[in-house]
Amino acid sequence: MTKIYNRRKICFLGVMYLLLAGVLISRLGFLMIVKSQYYLEKAQALHDRERSIKAKRGVIYDRNGIELAGNKSVCSVSVIHSQITDEDQVVNALCKYLQMDEKEVRPKVQANTIREKIKSNVDKEIGDALRNLNLDGVMIDEDYKRYYPYDTLASKVLGFTGADNQGIVGLEVFYDEILAGVPGSILTLTNAHGKELENEAESRIEPIHGDNLYISIDVNIQKYAQQVALKTLKAKQAKRVSIVLMNPQNGEIYSMVNVPEYNLNEPYDLVLNQELTCDDTNKKDHRKATQDALNNMWRNFCINDTYEPGSTFKLVTATAALEENVVRLEDSFSCPGFRVVDDRKIRCHKVGGHGLETFTEGFMNSCNPVFIDVGARVGVDDMYKTYEKLGLFEKTGVDLPGEASSIMHKKENVKAVELATMSFGQSFQITPLQLLRAASAVVNGGTLVTPHFGMYTLDENGKNKEKFSYTTKENAVSKTTTDNMKRLLELVVKEGSGSKGQVAGYRIGGKTATSEKLPRGNGKYISSYLGFAPADNPQIIGIVMIDEPVGVYYGGTIAAPVMAELFSNILPYLGIEESYIEE
Amino acid sequence: MAKKKSKGIFGFFPKYVYKGEYFDYPLFFVTLFLVAFGLVMIYSTSSYTAQLREGNAAYYLIRQGLFALLGIAAMIVVSFLHYKTWKNLSLMYLTVTIVLLAAVQVIGVASHGAVRWIQIGPLQFQPSEVAKSAVAIFTAHMCTIHAARIKEFKMICMIAAWPFVAIILIALENLSTAIICAMIVFVVVFVTSPNIKQFAVIGAGVVVIMGFFLMIASYRLERISIWLNPEKYDKGYQTLQSLYAIGSGGLFGKGLGQSIQKLGFIPESHNDYIFSVVCEELGLFGAVCVIGMFAFLIWRCIVIAFNTEDLFAALMVVGLTTHIAAQVLINIAVVTNSIPPTGVPLPFISYGGTAMIMVLVEMGMVLSVSRHLHVAKEY
Repeated sequence: MTKIYNRRKICFLGVMYLLLAGVLISRLGFLMIVKSQYYLEKAQALHDRERSIKAKRGVIYDRNGIELAGNKSVCSVSVIHSQITDEDQVVNALCKYLQMDEKEVRPKVQANTIREKIKSNVDKEIGDALRNLNLDGVMIDEDYKRYYPYDTLASKVLGFTGADNQGIVGLEVFYDEILAGVPGSILTLTNAHGKELENEAESRIEPIHGDNLYISIDVNIQKYAQQVALKTLKAKQAKRVSIVLMNPQNGEIYSMVNVPEYNLNEPYDLVLNQELTCDDTNKKDHRKATQDALNNMWRNFCINDTYEPGSTFKLVTATAALEENVVRLEDSFSCPGFRVVDDRKIRCHKVGGHGLETFTEGFMNSCNPVFIDVGARVGVDDMYKTYEKLGLFEKTGVDLPGEASSIMHKKENVKAVELATMSFGQSFQITPLQLLRAASAVVNGGTLVTPHFGMYTLDENGKNKEKFSYTTKENAVSKTTTDNMKRLLELVVKEGSGSKGQVAGYRIGGKTATSEKLPRGNGKYISSYLGFAPADNPQIIGIVMIDEPVGVYYGGTIAAPVMAELFSNILPYLGIEESYIEE
Repeated sequence: MAKKKSKGIFGFFPKYVYKGEYFDYPLFFVTLFLVAFGLVMIYSTSSYTAQLREGNAAYYLIRQGLFALLGIAAMIVVSFLHYKTWKNLSLMYLTVTIVLLAAVQVIGVASHGAVRWIQIGPLQFQPSEVAKSAVAIFTAHMCTIHAARIKEFKMICMIAAWPFVAIILIALENLSTAIICAMIVFVVVFVTSPNIKQFAVIGAGVVVIMGFFLMIASYRLERISIWLNPEKYDKGYQTLQSLYAIGSGGLFGKGLGQSIQKLGFIPESHNDYIFSVVCEELGLFGAVCVIGMFAFLIWRCIVIAFNTEDLFAALMVVGLTTHIAAQVLINIAVVTNSIPPTGVPLPFISYGGTAMIMVLVEMGMVLSVSRHLHVAKEY
């Protein structure tokens, strides 16, 4: 028979068990109410798989809204190892459709990663065909590929994008942040093996598409300039021809041509095979040589490289002299065909000399002895002051990556010989764009502008216009000096060394140059011509550079006509009216 | 009121069959409910893995369902048997169990890293599950016989000697089951004895010995550090996954079948950690309901033990109740990381054939005791 104490203890046990159950319930309450959020987030992080949705890259338009860089629908193919059921079938199909080597595909298929990318930028048709095979574990994602409708047009300005649609060179990289947008994502739930779960709600973060960029290039001008440059390249069998056309008033670049251009849709195809100067025996060398050749092909010589400007630079020397009032236009000089500076005899390009001439005539003749004298009158300090005002010690600030800096003598090292050579544009190096910017300031009334391409952006819906602003420095040159310089430069074309730059009906200013490339005496020249129009109120300024022409190499003879040809078509196109009727 | 022997369905064997005037239907139905709920949860937790491994989502459900049917049949049959049958059989029952436990050491089949099974033809059978009821019945029997001298330490040693052999054999492979058996012995002796103090001393002693044991067994100490900081140890994976599941359940859970943690994150989620999936799918509300069901079941057992007039019946029911209660409490405590991890299944719900049949048989024993209760009729 049970006793009272037995029952009491049974009762006690029952209470104990229920109490302990109560303790566990409160523990559960703590875990499932207080810590619920914490564990939920941890679990969520464990289950979520993020798939990114690419943002559409912004389109690049020219100043008139013509598409220069757009997007094409393509596919990217990837595999998820854990979902693959028939590995061989997958490998075979991928090899067949993507035309890839099995050695390349199989390790990727076998890689036990969450998601392994096989190939991106696959044509949409191929992607669709692969998708129709319904292979387990093969994912085809819609993607955008950069597409350049004009192939080679402005290739060295626009640049191109890489496999992940990221900018590699040119404007594509400079404005990458604006163009790229912000990728969105799809969050899906997975099981412990990383397999996506069906019927689970996906949470989606929409991508922010990149903004569209409007640049100052005018497709028609660019196309025409490229055509003219190519013609010149061929005619002169030159290494390359560069043309920059800019609005001197605000720095908007209408056109920047560097022929040979490369195809933006195939940026890894070398245009000139001879650029690859290496025998194929050594693979590593070969790869390096290929890369070097590609880098060279992608270079924008107007910005990335410096050169000795030569005679075109005399306009800077003249500006300095006029600014400092050390010379008047009618001052007379004599040119015996050379000038002795310290122990050096520096020749004029005209062997017999120009004889007695005024400063104006010396400028029109591009006479070196005149500029040696003028430079000496200005002196180093004031010369450098003018250089600085004209922005020759700084980068132009153009919106392209990799702009080169000028290479100048240190001021304390400039002796009479250096000053003399600098006066006619030798013994230092600047970029063509720096020269163009300085010349713009000289002729536009003294304002130092920032050359640029980017004008404004619009979002994908064509709204929210955001204009770029660029710095300008006013009064870099006095009004009187600019007026005199415009007159001098107009005379160069009208009656002087730049006479081949004339355009019927228009008042053109310009200056020619023929710079011998270093080392001297190798017979390699850069012939160039800097011109602007109309001479009294410049609306367009441009520079033509012919690198290593064969045969005649005088800038006045071969470069000036190129600019004249360009101007004769572009000036009417820009709506600049003829200022006189040719008699 | 007079006891009357019923012929019942076992009329040909009347000595051992007793129908009585009372049957604890609440206990019977809560047991059935728990078994049914367990089957639902087995399907929910195992269907994904079953589909992957066996190609049949219902693989584990069907197996467990068969065991449940077998167990329920056994429960009903046992509930008609006179509980004294077990008193008479107790020594043989425990002896056979000990032989089986010893056999496990020799011819046992390993599964999940421990040798706990005996293979008989296509059937696997886990003697340690049988041992718990054997120990409970045997101890109850011994205590009933020696109730008068229960205060003597020598007597207690004598009572506990044979169960102790079983406990040692179990402890070789399955420490937590051994601890549960020891608890059963302890509780049965405690209820028999009029003393309180000496049990408090023994309880304190056990705590000290446990502490000492933990100190010397370094791998158990690691278990302690994992318990305290499951996020810092690789071996804390299971505990951590369980906590993720419980925590992400919230108040009302994700809905039946909606657990994500069961999809391979919690290994063998239909076994010991099934309760964490219950929490994830049914939330705090569902979890409290399940605990409430167990509490109700335990309360019914305690009521039966309290009201029965026979000491052996009371002690047997207390022992069996302790088995169920200890497993429920330890299991939920482990799943919620309230105590260091140890593998104890949740009765009626966790997957496991032997365990399912045995707890149902034990419920049958408790129900057979309930048939001997007298109902005070007041009109």
